[in-house]
Amino acid sequence: MAASTRDTDVEPTRTRRSASHTRLWGWLLLPPAAWMMAFFVSSIIIVVLLSFGHVGPTGRPVFGASGANYAALWNETYLSVFLRSVVYASLTVLLCLLIGYPVAYTIALHGGRYKNALVAALVIPFFASYLIRMYAWSTLLSDEGLVNQALRWFGLSEGVRFLNTPGAVVAGLTYGFVIFMVLPVYASLERMDLALIEAGKDLYHGPLRTFFAVTLPATRAGVLGGVLLVLLPALGDFVSAQLLGGPSTFMIGNLIQQQFFESQNQPLGSALTVVLMIALLVFMVFYLRSTDRQRRES
Amino acid sequence: MTTLDAAAASSATPSATTPVAPAPARRRRRSVEGRPRIAVAFTALFFVVLYLPIVVVVLFSFNSRKSLSSFESFSTRWYVQFFNDDALLSSLRASLVISGVAMVGSLILGTMLALALERVSSRPSRILGTTALVPLVTPEIVTGVAALLLFTGLGIKLSLMTVIIAEITFSISYVAVIVRGRLSAMSDDVEEAARDLGCTPFQAVRLVILPAILPALVASGLLVFALVFDDFVLAFFTTGVDPQPLPVRIYSQIRLSISPAINAVGTCMMLVSILLIAFSLVVPRLFGRRDSGLDLISGG
Repeated sequence: MAASTRDTDVEPTRTRRSASHTRLWGWLLLPPAAWMMAFFVSSIIIVVLLSFGHVGPTGRPVFGASGANYAALWNETYLSVFLRSVVYASLTVLLCLLIGYPVAYTIALHGGRYKNALVAALVIPFFASYLIRMYAWSTLLSDEGLVNQALRWFGLSEGVRFLNTPGAVVAGLTYGFVIFMVLPVYASLERMDLALIEAGKDLYHGPLRTFFAVTLPATRAGVLGGVLLVLLPALGDFVSAQLLGGPSTFMIGNLIQQQFFESQNQPLGSALTVVLMIALLVFMVFYLRSTDRQRRES
Repeated sequence: MTTLDAAAASSATPSATTPVAPAPARRRRRSVEGRPRIAVAFTALFFVVLYLPIVVVVLFSFNSRKSLSSFESFSTRWYVQFFNDDALLSSLRASLVISGVAMVGSLILGTMLALALERVSSRPSRILGTTALVPLVTPEIVTGVAALLLFTGLGIKLSLMTVIIAEITFSISYVAVIVRGRLSAMSDDVEEAARDLGCTPFQAVRLVILPAILPALVASGLLVFALVFDDFVLAFFTTGVDPQPLPVRIYSQIRLSISPAINAVGTCMMLVSILLIAFSLVVPRLFGRRDSGLDLISGG
């Protein structure tokens, strides 16, 4: 309701504007829209079409209309990789939330005058090459790496095998994408009226109950956004499993990469990509519906 | 969450046992003015882990021995090796060209998109506005596979050009979002006034709008350069054989054998991106604005 009245208020200025003016903006839309159609939309359509194709006799992919690729994915090997990818990505989201929320909370509420500097310190390493940082972890966590040396030096252990374990892959994903949780949660904490927390403490007695009754619900949008932003890259990642894991920890991204660069089966790789896209779309729709519900409630 | 709650809970327990009167004041002082020690320690640890791999790469790039786990003495031999390695140098040049061209291309197209979406309020433009955000939420592996199939399907030979096209497609949305944020903060009365004073629509854009969005343009340009320069996945799927972009070259070297020269290359790469990002964060201040570039990047 409120939105529609605001629209009518704006209307006079919009119509007053000269026709040539609006046409100019319309023309500006043409080149970027054409570019996105030519190189993004069309390429996604090709992936979907080719997933119904097959590899021709010369080894080149041929378009077709068979579901054979999808049928081929319905076996234990592929299904276990799908399941593993979902489990790793979900664990990553959970860890990012458990680590990212307190960090965002501490910076937002106790950062004081260092707040901006701390957020900058968060953002900057994220832009240092993901590949290099993952490579660094692979050397740090290796059998003779610094982490094991430190463990031995403190007498804590005789050496732990980190690489090629699911834990290393999930840790790598968490490390890579935790910033996507911290930033939206931080933004929603910043927008929140801190007097609410004070009021909550008077009302509910105790910071723990206040947190669950006041702070967490108030930052729900940030948490949901963070969950989505972490989940999207985590589910499609193949670098962490490649550098920190091995064939036993491969995720759907590794399978896609194999089909394109090793097996040269592009139609099967396309079918895998479509499965990944569908999984992400499901999460996306879920996200949009829950934010929608939240907007209607408030 | 758990650590904080533990911190919060531990500060709450005394108030339950001590006499009622002084408790609230003490609790309040602890939670708002004082900093819960556990939460601060946790955040400090977080930053240590965040920077640990970066510090290790930089440190071992100056190691005199061919070891990645024990430091012997300071040496620049890996840098010497890097700057004498023609394959790595041609990859570095390729990456710089890709980032530079992709930056210019996505700045032009992204700004056009932002201007059109912000100033045309029709239904199609709203739909396009949403569509323009799709690449931002598409995992890179999907975009990479799609671009590879498009190029091979069209019979275009994979080269630096194909990497550049893919990177522009991916970066347009970033520029559009950042520039649009700046535009929406700016009233269109200003350009109306310019038009009333006799500006042609083109002059209104050049004299009024462009100067106003310049900080956003510089910040998003630097951001795109850094993102593209580091980008591995898209480049991996769309590059030809020679010259390969730097991240792709590094990836194949890591898989073959671990060489400390990678640390020197990695240090240089991280230095480039970190400087660019740090610079893009202070850009608005250089233009005399009080807001920080963080708002531009986080979209706040």
